[in-house]
Amino acid sequence: MFRHRTSFSGGIKLAMPDRIAADAVVRQMPFAPLLRLPLRQHAGAAAVAVVRAGEEVLRGQLLARAEDETAVPLHAPATGRVVRIGEQSDGAGGTVGVIELAPLPGDTQEQARERTFDADRLDADELLAAIREAGIIGLGGERGPTHQRLQRARKRGVAVLVINGIEGEPGFTRVPALLARHGSDVISGARFLGKVLGSQDAVLAVEKPDANSASAMLADSENHDRPVLAVLRPRYPQGAAELLVRTLARRPVEGIPAFNAEKAMVFSLATVAEIGRLLSHGLTMTDQLITLAGDGLRDTGNYRVPLGTPVGFALAQAGAHSELDRVLDGGPMRGHALGHLDRPITKGATGFVAMVANEQASLPEPMACIRCGECVAACPLQLHPAELGLLARRGEIQAMVEDWHLERCFECGCCAYVCPSHIPLVQMFRAAKKQSRRAKALAAGEEPA
Amino acid sequence: MTSPTCRLRLSTSPHLHAGAAVPQWMLHSVIALLPVTLFAVAVFGLAALATITVAILACLLAERACAAPSALDDGSAMLTGLLLGLSLPPALPLWMVAVGGFVAVAIGKHLFGGLGGPVFHPALVGRVILQAAFPTAMAQAWVTPLAPGRVSELPATSLAQPFMSPTAPYDGLSGATPLTATKAGEAGAPTADLWLGIVAGSVGETSAVLLLLGGVYLAIRRMIDWRIPVALLGTVAALSALLHGLDAERHPEVWTALGSGGLMLGAWFFATDPGISPTTRRGAWIYGLAIGALVVVMRQFSGHVEGVMYALLLGSALTPHIDRWTRPRPLPKGVER
Repeated sequence: MFRHRTSFSGGIKLAMPDRIAADAVVRQMPFAPLLRLPLRQHAGAAAVAVVRAGEEVLRGQLLARAEDETAVPLHAPATGRVVRIGEQSDGAGGTVGVIELAPLPGDTQEQARERTFDADRLDADELLAAIREAGIIGLGGERGPTHQRLQRARKRGVAVLVINGIEGEPGFTRVPALLARHGSDVISGARFLGKVLGSQDAVLAVEKPDANSASAMLADSENHDRPVLAVLRPRYPQGAAELLVRTLARRPVEGIPAFNAEKAMVFSLATVAEIGRLLSHGLTMTDQLITLAGDGLRDTGNYRVPLGTPVGFALAQAGAHSELDRVLDGGPMRGHALGHLDRPITKGATGFVAMVANEQASLPEPMACIRCGECVAACPLQLHPAELGLLARRGEIQAMVEDWHLERCFECGCCAYVCPSHIPLVQMFRAAKKQSRRAKALAAGEEPA
Repeated sequence: MTSPTCRLRLSTSPHLHAGAAVPQWMLHSVIALLPVTLFAVAVFGLAALATITVAILACLLAERACAAPSALDDGSAMLTGLLLGLSLPPALPLWMVAVGGFVAVAIGKHLFGGLGGPVFHPALVGRVILQAAFPTAMAQAWVTPLAPGRVSELPATSLAQPFMSPTAPYDGLSGATPLTATKAGEAGAPTADLWLGIVAGSVGETSAVLLLLGGVYLAIRRMIDWRIPVALLGTVAALSALLHGLDAERHPEVWTALGSGGLMLGAWFFATDPGISPTTRRGAWIYGLAIGALVVVMRQFSGHVEGVMYALLLGSALTPHIDRWTRPRPLPKGVER
């Protein structure tokens, strides 16, 4: 029935845990005693607080307003009292404003409707404004304001909306949860996005393990202009938008007319579902659906977590082992290790992995490159990680950038994953990119960031 | 409920690994060579055992002398020694074997920067230097397969001292190898014996069947790139068929060409060494094809009886060029996401 195709060479087969029905379960995370809400949770400008310390706010109420086109507003994730408005480190050497909110225990936590409208009757511009007012940012890997991407896309003209229902990382199970719990939101979200973009077609791409729940979800929909399903053979990092569009555009799956890759736009399934969920009910973004995974947790799975919940609190709720070795923001292939657990869960979060110390966790010392070519075969962009690695070791950053396309690397981790010599290739590339950007900034006479 | 208290370790992505490692690769290669090694000892007796042992010890000694002690852990020196031992004539004086082993690792490997550095297979470097330094010994130290007394006594040549002629003439035990015989216009060994390995020849290159099994094992385990031996053997088969078709008198038939000499050992265990073979899949095809063609050309048209060693050396000399020709082209910049 389905054709399984990939049209990118390389990538790796990751051992995905078997998808079981329980993966579709979403548990509600209780409120932490204190929620911390950075005023900037995405690339772009920070929002400006409109509440004062000591003020009581309702769940869903506006806390900070977007004054810049690149900003999105922030809403109260809980009914409670604003404890403090201050600054905190943004993790990159600067500071960012933060609102601290103490939820009121015992409150019903009914969300205040900021707006009342019938989303189905809004025109494209009104929908775009509503998406911005709801405070939506991209919920896949891309964490930019959604309205901004939509504006750019409208100028460019988009024919096909691609809904990315591919699990980004091993162990994450947001896709089955979204398909099972938010099917109608996905359908309406796709419709709203189609209207904003003026696009004709929508494609929902999932990998084989999710094929059945995806087709069930589509079959449930009474809407006729529902997305077409494309089922792909599991292969990491197929969910990378660039690769996904190539796959779909190059070799059309049954039922989808071939399309021009230039005219496609990818939104993650989570973003589409969120747009459908919030706009249909006039809600604002106050929580986040994330996966908590890893051998350091007793109750792994999907959770709906109020924004601002400290990572440590969320892990404790999921039955964290008392001695964690590593906690990753994101999945095991691309996530980054956290230094402490007070960090709040923000809008772009996709999930966290908590690991205990074990033999697998510590890799052996790197050895010399034996030029086996495994990394070359694994690179989905057809770069040459081995050569890049040798150049990095010699400090030839310029050659890496100019001759070997370092900047194309999106750090999917495939090369380091397969390297039999355990060379930390991604780490080296990341450092080289940073160095190259510094050098460029210096050459341009700017203060290096 | 309080947050878990812990000292978190910072590490960079990816936080997973496929699990394959260099020492594992060495280990699997040794496993794949085990049948042919045991077979060699059974057929050529103590001479083969001593040759292999001395080759390995010499390589380990050189590794210990040239690198940090921990370098021994990766198993590459042992594998080099084993491969060298298997590629030598069984009755070669053991001091020559030791020289070859030491040279293989000290010059063939560490002069090129150690693990991952060599342009040529270190074991082949050892062998080619022995070939250049001691051509007579290398050409004559053959042992008749399944000779009586092979497991109880060493051939006198094995124990020959440096700077002294062997205490006994080679002829005492030696016989022509099948390729030498064919070249001289005599009848070689029957094809079945050739494939089984009941013929005179280097320690571990006689049994094509066991080498094939070991190679296939490595390919299935994905320890080697199957494209290289497939391209190499395929080319040899195709060219041999062509030549045999043109002149059946002078050129052996396909099965003989495939089963004789060091071809199987070279195709599965030398040519596939990751360090000396191209990094791309397309490159692997070209590389295998080039070596295969060189093997046939040298065997049939040069003064050398056995062309595999030189073909492999020339092939690995081509590797940097093949890598340049087949350099992967990055995907064109994608769409705006």
